[in-house]
Order: sequence, then structure tokens, then C-alpha cells
Amino acid sequence: MSIWHIAWSYLWNRKLTTVLTILSVGLAVGLISAVLTLRAETQKRFEEEGQAFDYVIGANGSRLQLVLSSVYFMDSPVGNIKYSDYLKFKNDTEYVAAAFPISMGDSYQGFRIIGTTRSLMNHTWKHPVTEEEKSPYALSEGQYFEKPMEAVVGYSAAIHGNLKVGQTFVGNHGMIELPDSLKLEDHANMPYTVVGILAPSNSPFDNAIYVTLDSVWNAHADHDDEADTHVEEADTHDHDADHTHDHNHDHGEEESLTDEFHAAPDAEVTAVLIQFHSPAYRLQYREHLDELGSYNGAVPIDEIAIFFEKILKPAKAMMMAVGYLVVVISALSILIGLYLSILQRKRDLAIMRALGASAYEIFGAVLIEAFLVTILGIISGWFIGQTITAMVGIVLARDYGFVITPFGITFEEINAFCTVGLVGLIAGILPAWQAYNTDIADDLADR
Amino acid sequence: MVTLDEVRRKLGPGVEFHCKHFHVQPGAHMALWGPSGCGKSTLLNLISGLLRPDSGSISVDGLDLIKLSEGELDRFRGEHLGFVFQTFNLLAPFTALQNVMLGMRFSDTIPDKEWKDRATHILERVGLAHRIHAKPKTMSVGEQQRVAIARALANKQKLIVADEPTGSLDPKNAAATMDLLLEMCTEEKVTLLMVTHDRPTAERLPEVFDCLGLVSEVER
Repeated sequence: MSIWHIAWSYLWNRKLTTVLTILSVGLAVGLISAVLTLRAETQKRFEEEGQAFDYVIGANGSRLQLVLSSVYFMDSPVGNIKYSDYLKFKNDTEYVAAAFPISMGDSYQGFRIIGTTRSLMNHTWKHPVTEEEKSPYALSEGQYFEKPMEAVVGYSAAIHGNLKVGQTFVGNHGMIELPDSLKLEDHANMPYTVVGILAPSNSPFDNAIYVTLDSVWNAHADHDDEADTHVEEADTHDHDADHTHDHNHDHGEEESLTDEFHAAPDAEVTAVLIQFHSPAYRLQYREHLDELGSYNGAVPIDEIAIFFEKILKPAKAMMMAVGYLVVVISALSILIGLYLSILQRKRDLAIMRALGASAYEIFGAVLIEAFLVTILGIISGWFIGQTITAMVGIVLARDYGFVITPFGITFEEINAFCTVGLVGLIAGILPAWQAYNTDIADDLADR
Repeated sequence: MVTLDEVRRKLGPGVEFHCKHFHVQPGAHMALWGPSGCGKSTLLNLISGLLRPDSGSISVDGLDLIKLSEGELDRFRGEHLGFVFQTFNLLAPFTALQNVMLGMRFSDTIPDKEWKDRATHILERVGLAHRIHAKPKTMSVGEQQRVAIARALANKQKLIVADEPTGSLDPKNAAATMDLLLEMCTEEKVTLLMVTHDRPTAERLPEVFDCLGLVSEVER
């Protein structure tokens, strides 16, 4: 029968109070744990996927928006640049190993339709830390697109959009799912045929549909000619900025190769994804880009770092502050609960002293009670936090292709848990001190 | 076994406990008798080391209690004394067995491995073999007092101090408890000091110490 057993017995003797106190600590810790895990996991995933391309070039505007829209398919594109500009970057072989144009504007059931070149599908990259070779565009079935209006569908897009090889579908203008009546007038006469489905890469690349660049141009040639007014009324996205409108559409009727297009001089793309010969060029290219013209260029992982530092860090700090505030409130509930408990069992403590327990043992037993409540609160809080993380993770995976891993523990979490543990112990000191100072004769006489 | 000489303790403004001399032989069974407020419980608390005297000397089993630190007094209580209280004072979260084991937990008299056997044996001895896993609130008052007696004797203490041990019991249970207490103390060769305000109960013990006059008013 150890002091731990004695402490636990007293906690168990008032189950309801103990469980409620543990729960209050657990909720606070759960909030902290979820914030820390989600932040760490999303940052990790953002940074990992950001390594897929060294640089992204687009129209002038927000760099972050350019990166989020072009690399993570999360935001509206900032605007367009000329197709001829893409060729200029592609041929800038001193720096550029590979350049991939992307053209956005349409979607299917919320998944972006990305017009690009066939070579993007062969793009692989190596994780800088793990050295793992990543092939986000590996096929799981079918084949890559060869002709206009053939589509290769990302894994999540195929599952949630219920798309299979051989199936046809009609894209929506913009990101809003249109009613069938509008859809018919919009792109109905330009259906896409699914020719391939990508293997899961647990990345945003799973959440897109890939077609040839001229497929997008063709679809919008049709759109501009026939159904402009309907779409303008239904679509809420930034129309001018979101896709190519002003290009010459004559080329769309021509048969094209998937990597080279007979584009008109003013044909446009949304952005160009760049792979340098060396990641070292990421820093140097800004200056070089300015020499080439007026463009917006960004290193994806740099923008993401800024994004987390400037935007998500204050949000995280606020959530953490709320979490720690709840911890303090929980600590107060531990203190009050134990204090009242000590008042109620002053006689028990006096009996233990009469049986030979030292004042230190009594102090320790009460402190252990605070410790046990806090530890159980931390453990239950971790479960609560990780369950929240797992649930948010389902949404993140579905909407953004970010697969996060819950039920892990980070150094930051361990730090936070230690802080909570310390606060819990401090909360136990006052009741323990009160128990330490038991007046045995008085408390035994108090019938 | 117990000797007090010229022990004084201030109990409140103008009220003082004063015991000129008190002595108990080892193995004696003595009742401390007197009406409420006469100082019998104070005497018991001073002998138990629960109260410290302002002056005088107290010796229990060869130990000078005045010289003992708080920690040493704790150890003294754990190893030398067994308590039996009027309201039994069993600890609610624990079973009868655990309550008896608690008496051993806070001293080094009985090795850890023997706690359970010793507690079980002594509970059997007080007739509670079938109730060892019962919690106090499920036990009758008579059963609770028997557990308290078992706890007081579990540590092979040399002195049992009992404060009105039959005060909360009906006459039948009171008589049975007294029988058990005397029988167990005789069997274990333990010195018994029992506080009671009831003269017939006091007279069941071979010796009676009259506590009248221990507490008196003094000039401020």
C-alpha cells in the first residue's frame, strides 16, 4: 500500500469530481495538443509539397497567392502571363532545368482542371531531408493524356468526383458547381474523357484534374463564344484573373502535341512552375527574373515559411493563449477541488498522522493527487487533441490533399505538457501545505 | 510503561492542565475516568504525543517525548501506539483489510510482505474474516469498531490508547467491544489506556485513574 495507492484511493472515492477535473484539464490540453499538432503537421506537409518546385512565376500580385494557387491549388490565381513568356523561361537553360506551364480556370465538382504539358506528368523531386524520390503524378491506372480533352485525374478527385477511366465529364467554369442547365450552355459541347487516374501521393496534386494546355484554351474558346453571360452571372470568382480570356482561340481547333502548342501570340497561362538545375538558384533567380521582365516570382517554401510566420503564428499564439487560459482555469479547479477535499477529510489526515504518517508523507500524498489528476488530464487531453486533429485531417485531406498524421507527439507538445504538469503540481501545493499543517489533536477532536 | 511528572499545558485563557504524577506499569489496563472537560482526553493526547506539554516530562516505553522532533513523534506513534477512537475513524476509501494495513504502512515494525497476512489474521481474530474486503460504509458500527481494534493491534504496538471506544455503540455492542478489547490486549500483552466518562465501563478495567482536578483555572 504505497502513498500513490492512498492518493489514488482518495481520488477514486470522489469519482465525479475527479473525472470532471480531469476532463477540464483534458479539454485544455486537447485544445493545445490539436493546435500544435495541426500547425506542425500542416507546416510539414506544406513545406514538403513546396519542395516539388523550386520557383513559380506568374502575373504581378501577391506572391503567397501565386504559390497557394499554383502549387497547392488553394487560392484564386493572381492573373495570367503570356504563353510566350513561358517559352522564354523554358528556354532559360542556364538556370532552368524544367518549366511547366499551368492554366487554370475550370473545375469539376470543386477540383481544379489544370491545363499543362505532358512533361509535368514525368516530374519527380527528391525530398531534401529524407532523400525520398517523390513522383506525385505516377499513374495507378490508364494512361497519360495525349490529345486535347483527355484528362488524367488525381486520386482524390477521382474518388470524390466519382471519375473512372473512359468516363466523360463536363467542366465548370470557375470553382462554383453550376446547375446542369447552365453547364450545358457552358462547356457541355467540350466534354473531357478520363484516360488515366493518378496513384495517391497524399499531396495537393491528388486534388486536381490534369489536361493538355490547349484543352483549357479550347474550352474557353467555346465559353467565350457561346455562354459568357450565363457564367458571368453565376460565377463569383475573379473572372478576369482566374483564367485565360483574351487569347486567340483559333489554335484550339488544331491538333496539338501535348508538350508543344501552336499558341497565338497573346495566348496565356496562369503560372509557370520551375525546376532549377540546382536549388541554390532559388535565391539568385529573383534578380534574373527582373531582367527578363515584369513578373511575379516566388520560392514556394519561402512563401510558406512567411505564411506560417506572419499569418498562422499569431493565430496559433491566440489559440495557445486560449488553451493556456483554460489550463489556468483547470489548475484552479484542481486547487479548489483538492482544497475542499482536504477540508472535508482533515479528520482522515489526522488519523493517518495518528497512525504514524509523517507530515511530509501527507504533503506528498496530496501533491500526488494533484499530479495524478494533471497527468490523467494530459493523457486524456492528448487523446482529445489527436482525435480533433484526425477529424480535421479528414477535411484537410479531402479538400486540400494534405494527409496529416495524428496520434504522434512533438517536442513542442512535450514542452506544453510539462508546463501543464507543472501548473497542476503548483495548484496542488496549497492544499498539500494545508494538509501538511494538520493539527492532529484538534482535527481528531472535531467530531 | 508511561510516566508523567509535573506536566503542564495551557488549554486556553486562564485554563491549565496540570498532572503532578502519572504512572502506568507495562501490560496494565487502566481506565482514565472523569466527566467531560476534566482533562482525560488531554492526558491521552499528551501521552500519544499529539499535544506537547508546556513543561514537565513524559516518558513512554522509555522514550522521552519532550525531546522527540515532530518526525520522531510520528514514528513513535506508528511504532509504539495503537489508537481506538469513539467514532472508529476508519478511512472511507479503504476496505477493512486496507484500513488495518494502513496501521502498518506508516511504521517499519512489520515487513511489507507480511502486511496482508498479519492484517488478515488479526481481522479473523476479531471475527471479521468474512468482511475483510468490505468498506466502512457497508459495515455496522460494531464491525467498524472491531476493525479499529484490529488496526490498533496490527502493528504489535505496546500501548493502546482508546478514547471512549464504546461511546458510539449500543449497550450490547459496547459490552462486546469491551470484551474484545480486553481480551485482545491481554492476549497480545499490550498496555491499555482507555478514556471513558462512564463509571461502570471504567470499572471493567483493573485500574481506574480519576482525572478530576487535572484541569483548573489559574490566575492570568
